Amino acid sequence: MENIKILKGFKTPLTGMPDSSVIQIPDPDTVAVSAMDIPYIRPKLLVKENESVKTGTPLFCDKRNNCIFYVSPGTGIVKQIVFGERRRLQEVVIALDKNLDKNTDKNQAKKDDFIQFETLSKDSIGTIPRSKIIKLLQQGGLWQCFRQFPSKDTADENHEPPMIIVPLNGNDPFSPHPEVVLENETGFFEFGIKILKQFSNRIVVASRQSSLDRLNGFKDHITHIVPDFYPSWDPAVILYHLKRSKEDNRSWCIPVEHLVLVAKFLLSGRYPVKRVVTITRSNDKKPHMIARQGTPVKNLVGSLDENSLITTGRFNGRAVEPQSHMGFFENTLNIINDNQEEELFGFIKPGLTKPTASRTFLSCLSRDPKDLDCNIHGEERACINCGYCANICPNDLAPSFIYKALLSDEIEDALSYGLLDCCRCGLCSYVCPSKIELTQLLSQGMDAHYKDKE
Amino acid sequence: MNPLKKLIDLSEKHFTGSGKFNRLEPLFDATKTFLFFPSSKNKYKPFVRDNLDLKRFMSFVIISLLPVLIFGIYNTGFQAGLAQGESYAFIQAFFLGSRYVLPIIIVSYAVGFFWEIVFATIRKHKISEGFLVTGLLFPLTLPATIPLWQVALGISFGVVIGKEVFGGTGRNFLNPALTGRAFLFFSYPVSMSGDVWVAAGSTVDGFSGATALSILAPEGEKITAALSNSGFSLADLFFGLVPGSIGETSAFCCILGALFLIITKIANFRIIIGGITGLIVTSIIFYLIPGGSDSWMNASPLYHLCAGGFLFGISFMATDPVSAPGTNPGRWIFGFLIGFLTITIRVANPAFVEGTMLAILFMNVFAPLLDLIVMKYTVSNRIPNV
Repeated sequence: MENIKILKGFKTPLTGMPDSSVIQIPDPDTVAVSAMDIPYIRPKLLVKENESVKTGTPLFCDKRNNCIFYVSPGTGIVKQIVFGERRRLQEVVIALDKNLDKNTDKNQAKKDDFIQFETLSKDSIGTIPRSKIIKLLQQGGLWQCFRQFPSKDTADENHEPPMIIVPLNGNDPFSPHPEVVLENETGFFEFGIKILKQFSNRIVVASRQSSLDRLNGFKDHITHIVPDFYPSWDPAVILYHLKRSKEDNRSWCIPVEHLVLVAKFLLSGRYPVKRVVTITRSNDKKPHMIARQGTPVKNLVGSLDENSLITTGRFNGRAVEPQSHMGFFENTLNIINDNQEEELFGFIKPGLTKPTASRTFLSCLSRDPKDLDCNIHGEERACINCGYCANICPNDLAPSFIYKALLSDEIEDALSYGLLDCCRCGLCSYVCPSKIELTQLLSQGMDAHYKDKE
Repeated sequence: MNPLKKLIDLSEKHFTGSGKFNRLEPLFDATKTFLFFPSSKNKYKPFVRDNLDLKRFMSFVIISLLPVLIFGIYNTGFQAGLAQGESYAFIQAFFLGSRYVLPIIIVSYAVGFFWEIVFATIRKHKISEGFLVTGLLFPLTLPATIPLWQVALGISFGVVIGKEVFGGTGRNFLNPALTGRAFLFFSYPVSMSGDVWVAAGSTVDGFSGATALSILAPEGEKITAALSNSGFSLADLFFGLVPGSIGETSAFCCILGALFLIITKIANFRIIIGGITGLIVTSIIFYLIPGGSDSWMNASPLYHLCAGGFLFGISFMATDPVSAPGTNPGRWIFGFLIGFLTITIRVANPAFVEGTMLAILFMNVFAPLLDLIVMKYTVSNRIPNV
């Protein structure tokens, strides 16, 4: 195991760490496949409302590559297809069949009915051509688990990645603990690593320091350890610190829970629907939860204050509504309080409990866990060149220079400053005292460049 | 609900939209957000944000200026007393000093805010907090004897030409307070030359009131001896009970402010340390050059550090992030060259006894170039990703 030296990141301890216990969430009335967390997709619907589907039935595919399917995580009837602005597909909602066992004759589909795909045997892996594995995964709705740098779009099947990064930890500081994800899945995990070796010679399995002591059974597979502050375990950060040549920029990554899904699917021929999720809330310790993919957010978060914000990653996720559903790539929900009070002379209070990455609040003297709210704490101003963003960027970027280059349309400059190394961790926006939406601007810059090239 | 908040909520409709005073919206908004810290819900990722904002950032510079300000007021009164042949106690000197210094500060803030509001109203943007600092820094660089109309003229030039014509705080490439001071320095050399800088109605005979940097030793005498003859011992220069601009005299108070800024990371320590290093190295080089023992060339680094406005400039002016470089190596070079230029101007150019202001303004102009060079270098070390 090799330590990766990462110096910069978000080092404030936070409240709301989930408990290591696990509870099972009963199947909800509806599940959905969300298109909101899928990068760059141009969805093409394959089902209509009121059509019945089984677990594994393709719901939509990507127009850019018609072989990549997004499949139903449950058996039932397509209840609703939700469109957003400009008729952008948001969700395909499926009402799960709950009482079908009694009157099977009326409906073709039965509870837990599923599409059986071709299976592989554990020992045959060396003999199966790469293209066949890809084909199977694409049909089964799991190829999108593989993402390709620098834009983290769905991996290009014709590309041979110089490196595949498997982060054991998710996008949020409190994403599910890898030990919970991998519990009783050792066989699948090891099979998954064998599959990865069909794609690339270099497999990087990285874990954050604090997860390590509960991962004894997996120590042989873990190749790298990263420090215990966000976003060290982000694959883009790991890639930046490991890459030695230009070619490495087009590596792949696959989160460990997806690797297990891929292995399970290939061995059983059945689309796996169970996910481990964590719910974080300040001053609360909620257990890890096992729920079906696409469970409604409200089933997971329980009762909450109507002003709070729910996100799928406080730094780099998306904001979700209680009635929307968990996305394929998402496994954390943060319930963030809205502190609506406008404090009298708030800008000069000593701030014993106000978390900060700077040293301008007394809170920076204590290492007690702090509580973050979803407020901006100030107003947008012009950049004052203070360099706070560069001081926290894990990938040694100077976001203030890049965003100025982007605003003045100097895309070449922005690229040479390392725009595509941006891991979209959100820390530059987090620290900015001028409250400039740096992450948003950099992200848009990267996306625009990527779409342009495509 | 807070009664003040109620009042603001009630009057909001008059200042916004089609209200009667909607042209004054920037002023209303500035007052409102000054009293009640705005904190709306985040719309974009990340959905959590740091508590530090520009208001607090700039307020911390003001806090760091308090020792300098209080001592400056006291010293103004104390020097006035000396000039009249009296030695005042702290309270007395402080009150006498306030009579000279407070009007300067009030004029500076009032005139500066007037321009800020004018530009904010015309351009329909919010009043930036940056002026809070400029409005206090500027008077501290002036002698207490300055006529108030010159203060008004100087701050107007600093705010309008130094900052607003480029788009306001964040877009100025020169430090606005120093721009205003440079304008006065070249336009009204009599008030700014550093010859008679003691505020007093009448002076006793033989009192010169000159600043340390304008001292030149007679033939055959060393500069240090000439300085102590004129009442500038190193200890006096360090603690600051000497004539000079309001804020610059006390090296001790400047160091206090600089430490506060460094500890809270509001100012970048690289600029301050780099500047002091540059000053020490350069003054040692000049010291080692033979000859010139009667001029400041022969003064030791400590004299150079404590005399004049170098510590004030490097702690509060050069660390203005907007006009300084935005890269760390750039900041080191920037600071070092300010120290170097300060000594070079002081020693090699007798026309300007004080080099700090010109050194900082000169380096402000070069800051973007330094950034460009540093960025070019860092880019060449990155593994390209295009």
